[in-house]
Amino acid sequence: MSAAERKLLIVDDEAPARSRLESLVAGLPGWSALGSCASGAEAIARIERERPAVVLLDIRMPAMSGIEVARHLCLLDSPPAVIFTTAYDEYALEAFDSHAVGYLLKPVRRERLESALAHAARLSDALLSELGRSVKGFERRRHLAARVRDELRLIPLGEVRLLKAEQKYVSVFHAGGEDLIEDTLRQLEQEFADLFVRIHRSMLVAIGAIEALEKDAEGGYHARLRGIPDRLPVSRRQVTDLKARLGIKR
Amino acid sequence: MLPHGATSAIDRDTAPQAPTESADGFFLPNFCDPRMVLAVVLLAELLALTFALVRPAEVGFLNELARLSVLMQWLGLTSSALICLARDSLRRLTTPLVTGAVLAIVLANILVLSVGVVWIGRWRGEGLMLEIFPSALWPFALKNLLIGLIVTALLLRYCFVSHQWRRHVESEARSRIDALQARIRPHFLFNSLNTIASLTRSSPEQAEEAVEDLADLFRVTLSDAGKLLTLKEELELSRIYQRLEMRRLGDRLKVVWDVALLPMRARLPALTIQPLLENAIYHGIEPLESGGTVTISGGADGDEIEISVSNPTVAPTGEASRRGNRIAVLNIRERLGLAFAGRGSLEIEQTDSSYTVRLRFPLQL
Repeated sequence: MSAAERKLLIVDDEAPARSRLESLVAGLPGWSALGSCASGAEAIARIERERPAVVLLDIRMPAMSGIEVARHLCLLDSPPAVIFTTAYDEYALEAFDSHAVGYLLKPVRRERLESALAHAARLSDALLSELGRSVKGFERRRHLAARVRDELRLIPLGEVRLLKAEQKYVSVFHAGGEDLIEDTLRQLEQEFADLFVRIHRSMLVAIGAIEALEKDAEGGYHARLRGIPDRLPVSRRQVTDLKARLGIKR
Repeated sequence: MLPHGATSAIDRDTAPQAPTESADGFFLPNFCDPRMVLAVVLLAELLALTFALVRPAEVGFLNELARLSVLMQWLGLTSSALICLARDSLRRLTTPLVTGAVLAIVLANILVLSVGVVWIGRWRGEGLMLEIFPSALWPFALKNLLIGLIVTALLLRYCFVSHQWRRHVESEARSRIDALQARIRPHFLFNSLNTIASLTRSSPEQAEEAVEDLADLFRVTLSDAGKLLTLKEELELSRIYQRLEMRRLGDRLKVVWDVALLPMRARLPALTIQPLLENAIYHGIEPLESGGTVTISGGADGDEIEISVSNPTVAPTGEASRRGNRIAVLNIRERLGLAFAGRGSLEIEQTDSSYTVRLRFPLQL
């Protein structure tokens, strides 16, 4: 591998699809495949470690879709250029900002791969960061991503118990501890309306994590969550909504 | 044949049948058919009753009804016989000509009958009750001709409209079946092509088999929508589909077949089980990182066959995918309903960890 060669990572859950892309890339001068990954989580770990210039990312993968991977990647300081691959254009990919992202339809033609890679190589970091914004809203995430130094920590949504707005960030209290994420509470509330409920101006709680709703002597309500020792205050205006979501009659 | 229209779609596949009325686009009912003759008798009697009721009371209602019944039945049956005899010639004519010809047959018949009645009255009238025979020919004949013209024209119009309506209903049902034709997901087609492209280099023999499998599958998909297959053929198709998916998904896909007790000669609409397997893989196995097992099991209880396809479920995340699933399942339910005249059913059982589609349909060889 010469120093001038650009590194590329292939991500696809299907083995034949990976091996086909590997053999195509092997025939392209100037590019070398770092290898391939079978899942989104594995891909994120390898991208942080090995810093490829380009990722060929399958969209339809189990556990974490390519679109979600791309959204998490844009939190990195210098994200790789992402070229989505998909067998069937069901995602209306043209809707993506065409400056920030390319896509290839499988089976991928060698010439199309070549030109997509050439295009990706010319993109600036600033444009690449745009990617995340253009992908937003396409599909809901199954993980939240926290950036710890320049590494991404993925928190499965099912493990999240409490989202609490701090000064600039949102604190995520989850089964594995506590992390800061860059989303806003309002965005999170909209994206995951069925999983979380607002109990307070600065707090969203996971409906599944609520263990009890208690009324104190003054008539104020408090929520108790699994794995969180403090009782959380429920603001008066949220009580009715919360009860409705929990299926409690007034 | 109107009340039997619902079953004709199935009969077509199971037994050869005389061409139905609508098939040749001829709007006149078949007057050679005994059921039609019965209808003519009833209609003639209704008309006789109507005319008898209209007559002034002093004539004697029962006498009048008897007289009119004889005339109407005679007229109805002879006209039916004439139209039946002329059917093959009529069939070659255009709709206005058929209308004219039928009117001519009926009116000529009425004229002959009127003349006959008057003659019989003149010849043997003295011995019978005179008042039932008209004395003057032309007033009697002209009145009858006018009534005959109006009634026959109305009936022809009714036949024409109901024929148009039936054709419309049938073409709608046909296009519904066509629209319901099972379609293989484009997603699957392109993924399979990608797999083949990959295997062409690494394992040409497997690539060859995959192309053969894909060809078999698409041959059925592209064939007639209402086609019936034997259970053996349908299960073979599902196995072909499974082979294609296994080349792509590797160990992630396991399929357990528990179908030894099924009567393999039973017939069912093509692509009934395969799409259920496809759904199970698409919604149940592909979203699982480590894969899972689809179970296809079946048995027969007397004349009823039951087949179920079951897959593990993932935590619900994508609403869109479940909607897609429901459409495919509703499609199969509707095709089963059409093929087995309402005796085919499809049920869904959903638990936290599994999704099962259960088909039930009668044994039909």
